[in-house]
Amino acid sequence: MTHLPIIVVALYLATAFALPLLGRVKKLHTGYFSLCIATAGLVMSLLTLFYVAREGTFSYFPGDWPPPVGIELSVDWVTVLMHLTINLIGLLVLFYCIEDLSSEVRPGHETWYYTLFFLLMASLNALAMAFDMFTVFVFTEICTLAACALVAIKPKALCVEAAFKYLILSTLGSGMLLLGTSLVYMVTGHLNMGLIGQLLPQAIDLYPLNILIALGLFIIGLGIKSALFPLHTWLPDAHSSAPTPSSALLSGLVVKLFIIVVGRIIFQVFGSELFLMIPIPEVILLFATFGIFAGSLMAIAQTDIKRMLAYSSVAQVCYIYMGMALVSQTGIQGGLLHVFNHAVMKSLLFLAAGAFIYKTGIRKIEDLVGIGYRMPLTMAAFSVGALSMVGIPGFSGFISKLTLAFGALEAESPFFVVVIIISSLLNAVYYLPIVLRGFFGRPATEFQWDKLPLLIIAPVLALAVINIFFGIFPGSLQELARLAAETWLP
Amino acid sequence: MHDLVLQTVAKLIIPFIQLFGFYIIFFGHLSPGGGFAGGTIVASSFILYALAYDVQAGFKRMPRLASKWLESMGALLFVLVGFAGVAMGGSYLANHTGLLDLGEAGTLISGGFIPLLTLAVGVKVASTIISLLYHLLEEKTNV
Repeated sequence: MTHLPIIVVALYLATAFALPLLGRVKKLHTGYFSLCIATAGLVMSLLTLFYVAREGTFSYFPGDWPPPVGIELSVDWVTVLMHLTINLIGLLVLFYCIEDLSSEVRPGHETWYYTLFFLLMASLNALAMAFDMFTVFVFTEICTLAACALVAIKPKALCVEAAFKYLILSTLGSGMLLLGTSLVYMVTGHLNMGLIGQLLPQAIDLYPLNILIALGLFIIGLGIKSALFPLHTWLPDAHSSAPTPSSALLSGLVVKLFIIVVGRIIFQVFGSELFLMIPIPEVILLFATFGIFAGSLMAIAQTDIKRMLAYSSVAQVCYIYMGMALVSQTGIQGGLLHVFNHAVMKSLLFLAAGAFIYKTGIRKIEDLVGIGYRMPLTMAAFSVGALSMVGIPGFSGFISKLTLAFGALEAESPFFVVVIIISSLLNAVYYLPIVLRGFFGRPATEFQWDKLPLLIIAPVLALAVINIFFGIFPGSLQELARLAAETWLP
Repeated sequence: MHDLVLQTVAKLIIPFIQLFGFYIIFFGHLSPGGGFAGGTIVASSFILYALAYDVQAGFKRMPRLASKWLESMGALLFVLVGFAGVAMGGSYLANHTGLLDLGEAGTLISGGFIPLLTLAVGVKVASTIISLLYHLLEEKTNV
């Protein structure tokens, strides 16, 4: 049972390499084959959850070499939560891929899309449990390259430009991560996060500058990759021009994993004492506050629906950063809860927007008037995502915002409660008009059902159901996020 | 381009390049080098062939499809060998499970399945570099 997390990664890697060989078989078959593998991945991460719940968290040493020598993979509650998120969203997005891909990529490139998808999924799963700086770096690189390729696979000049921008900026981020790792290695002689964490309190007296610069490089480097506010410039282009499934994956999962890595570095390598000694939490809080407002304000100004959703991601990522930088347990719990909830909401919104584009070709927000009469189910699912984003009670977005607000109170900074409330109002400004105009605008046509392929409508509805379920019964997820937060800040 | 001197020298030197590349790969667990370095050297012999003769001759020697297959196979071999460790009761990629004899340190046949892994890396790297070259050359002809 302890092998399950790494088997997921190895299985995804093996599938990624095997798919080009199977590509000779009909394209639909590779799609269904991928679905089987992704389902197996989800089942394995559920089994890991049950195993960890019964036997407790554990560390895994590939090759049976324990740490200073070997690699450590930490299967703790953060890992379990992230694996569930990644594999659940990945599976649902994969369902959507099968029908949608033929309209997004060149004919014959579908198999390559699945290869990139599995490379991305493998690296995300590995990033969630990597407890070793160099493993983090390696999988960061795989993740970055796969994500860039997932944007560039669409044969449009806009996508190539966006992917190039993304590639340049995130390679800069990787470079900073590597430089920071080498600076920490220089003073501690270890790459394992736990061992670095033990040595840093002594090392900070001897080499304060090295360690401060390393922390700065980690936060800026991973901040670029996870689109922390002033470093977010690549995100709107990449996420809005990419094929719809890629947008859902990039917005829902990829940026989150880098936040998890930042969290591990802050809380498990540097530790909260060291982190609080330097005014870095304040800086992150400042960035996050600006980002929440700026992201929402820029989203209001957009006319393209996918671009609007991408700017909304900029704001939502800042919520998660805010939760972590509050350095209170409830704050971190809210942040981790928002990782899951935002992954569900944003992939729901992207897939629903993709369904509008698939059926009608409409990308402009003002043309979506009366879309609720033509695609009622999709629009209902979109509304669930939109209301959840705004934070209406009964939807999962409300739960994570509430927990974040409690976290702000626990950290004795009620200012951030005000930030959350105002930004929720700003979210309402750009999400609700779409819902209202979609359902109550002047209908252009007679009422009709969606008439979408089952594989497109099913994942959208499934995500909406998951969203409402965790909005009404948040208990189990709250408990999981609380346990994960305890791993970071006991 | 048909340069007699270049072609003759290439014909003479390519076997030695490949031999050296495989030497680096198979001695990866004993001396500096290994799959990545050796694979690059092996690939460089194919690159030399394709440049000295013709790209079309290169395609004949090492067809695109073959390099695509080898690329996937090399990576698959690495991942699957890792599962062998799990199957034998150790961790992923565990080498001490007695599946392959660890042998005496310093001899060629030793180190369990490490030579197998360096071979997988070598195959993967060599075929990837050849594929990259083909992509570059093809782009030129397409425009």
